[in-house]
Amino acid sequence: MTASKRWLPLTFKIALLTLLLLWTLIPVVWMVLSSFKPNNIITADTPRIFFTPTLEHYASLFSGGNSLWPYLLNSLFIAGVSTLIAVVLGCMAGFGLSRIRIKGKQHLAFWIISTRMAPIAAVIVPLYLLFRYLYLLDTHAGLIVAYLSFNLPFAIWLMTAFFDDLPPDLEEAAMIDGATKLQAFRYVVLPLMTPGLVTTAILCFIFAWNDYAFAQTFSGPSTQTIPIAAAQLLTQTGIDWGKLLAIGTIVVCPMAIAGLLVKRWLVQGLTLGAVK
Amino acid sequence: MATLQLNNIVKDFGGTQVIKGVDLEVKDREFVVFVGPSGCGKSTLLRMIAGLESTSDGDILIDGQRINDVGPAERGLAMVFQSYALYPHMTVEDNMGFSLKLAGVSKEERRQKVLEAARTLQLEPLLDRKPKALSGGQRQRVAIGRAIVRNPSIFLFDEPLSNLDAALRVQMRIELARLHDELDATMIYVTHDQIEAMTMADKIVVLQGGVVEQIGSPMELYHHPRNRFVAGFIGSPKMNFMTVEVVDRRGEGVTVRLPGGGVCNVPVGSNHLDVGKNLVLGIRPEHLVLDDQGPLVGVVQVIERLGGSTALYVQMEETEVIALTDGNTAHQVRDKARFGFASSRAHLFGADGLALPSLQRHPLADIYRKDNRTHTETSNY
Repeated sequence: MTASKRWLPLTFKIALLTLLLLWTLIPVVWMVLSSFKPNNIITADTPRIFFTPTLEHYASLFSGGNSLWPYLLNSLFIAGVSTLIAVVLGCMAGFGLSRIRIKGKQHLAFWIISTRMAPIAAVIVPLYLLFRYLYLLDTHAGLIVAYLSFNLPFAIWLMTAFFDDLPPDLEEAAMIDGATKLQAFRYVVLPLMTPGLVTTAILCFIFAWNDYAFAQTFSGPSTQTIPIAAAQLLTQTGIDWGKLLAIGTIVVCPMAIAGLLVKRWLVQGLTLGAVK
Repeated sequence: MATLQLNNIVKDFGGTQVIKGVDLEVKDREFVVFVGPSGCGKSTLLRMIAGLESTSDGDILIDGQRINDVGPAERGLAMVFQSYALYPHMTVEDNMGFSLKLAGVSKEERRQKVLEAARTLQLEPLLDRKPKALSGGQRQRVAIGRAIVRNPSIFLFDEPLSNLDAALRVQMRIELARLHDELDATMIYVTHDQIEAMTMADKIVVLQGGVVEQIGSPMELYHHPRNRFVAGFIGSPKMNFMTVEVVDRRGEGVTVRLPGGGVCNVPVGSNHLDVGKNLVLGIRPEHLVLDDQGPLVGVVQVIERLGGSTALYVQMEETEVIALTDGNTAHQVRDKARFGFASSRAHLFGADGLALPSLQRHPLADIYRKDNRTHTETSNY
């Protein structure tokens, strides 16, 4: 009786999940697949799944006059540094917000996260003017600051939630065991915060790594990131599909691999202890 | 080995006083239990002693030294938390040795001391496990072990047994009492369970609303409660209360008229009592005896047979009274029952809730847990 009752919803669930999976995966799979196709197959009228793979697009990306290397290094450096700062500051601020007893704490926390709610388009022009006065245009620091302005409130908010989830008993026990506040943080709190730190870091890194609008506006010839490189392939004379898809794959892959590696922590982090 | 003294301790949380001036003296090697209903401030008081909460006013002294401004790390105490608060990312051994690691003790010495404590608590086979892989009782013992390894001047326990099931709680209670004898250390223990308080304490501190209601040995609180709150809180089932009227106060004690018209002379002091005044008579369920000539009469409403004893819930006019009688009581629901009691077992409370002072002190009122132990030990030989 129960089997027949469960049967329908289960089929429904599987169908829904399959649909969702196809919806998400087909473009990505197609992109990755096509990046290994010779040019004539990419744009062939009949899409082909079986073909002789080639690395010519990747090879051409990293050779010749306009190599992808500088863009890749810029992306890694800018996203990495802004993520590091966001996570370190977010961790400390989140710890403070979670533990200190002050009046109007909720308002303070909300005010911080509310700065993350402004759309990027709304801050681009003011930031541009500000950066011009501060000589931050076409600098790595400029982009790092731009990403921080969005990532820091987010990191603080996320880390606060993680710290709220960690019972203060543990720090107190450490302090009674003879630890200073800093030692309690270092030996007890921080190791337990790994899921939170990893989740926050990955989400911050993705934001900076994927950004196009800030990079397009604030970067110059020496600071352009990978998304800019991709955009440069969309020219008036034509689109170099092969290279474009190869760049797309290069952008997506590190994130996907990192996501898989820390999946356990990420799931634990994103559910924020809601499921125990 | 340490003494603790609290002088007029106050805790103020944003304008609300949760501890309203507590004075207490804890002697060396004493087992003191803070007991009271939830929200009475007992845990806050313990946390203030530990240094986890600041003190708004008053002084805390350990061995005569004022330590208000000393951080928890330097107070040299150990605490067992209600949640155990074991470090989830460390093994049992690392959990227990953490305080030594912080103190810079060498690895071998650390292992030595951890093993020693583990042996006392039968934790040796578990030393390599993480807390996650332990049962509730084992976690509890690790938390206690962590405290022992620290070799503290005072042990603090914050409701350590409340997360255990009933059978384990009884077992741990006995283990803790034994541990206190073995370690011969000063211990302060917070609980809302008056049975834990009665069985383990040398001295009980009854708290309510941030105020100390009474401090005394378990038997003193039982036989000479200072007020109605303590009388109702200590003892299970709770003490029965009924309104009585003073009819005579000449001679020894006070003579009162009971509900139902009976008269009884209670041996308590009677300064400034007017005849005709209402008092509250308190009598414990275990002191009510079935007696066909007794002064109290009522109708049995509920019967709880526990085997060894039987609890009768009896309606006597407006008040419901519980009587703990013999296990073989044959009464049935809706039966009429008559009770008597020894008047020396009764308590009288004034309108202010304070008990009128007993004329005779109970012979066991000043017996302490340690005296108990010596007594049972000699009787074993």
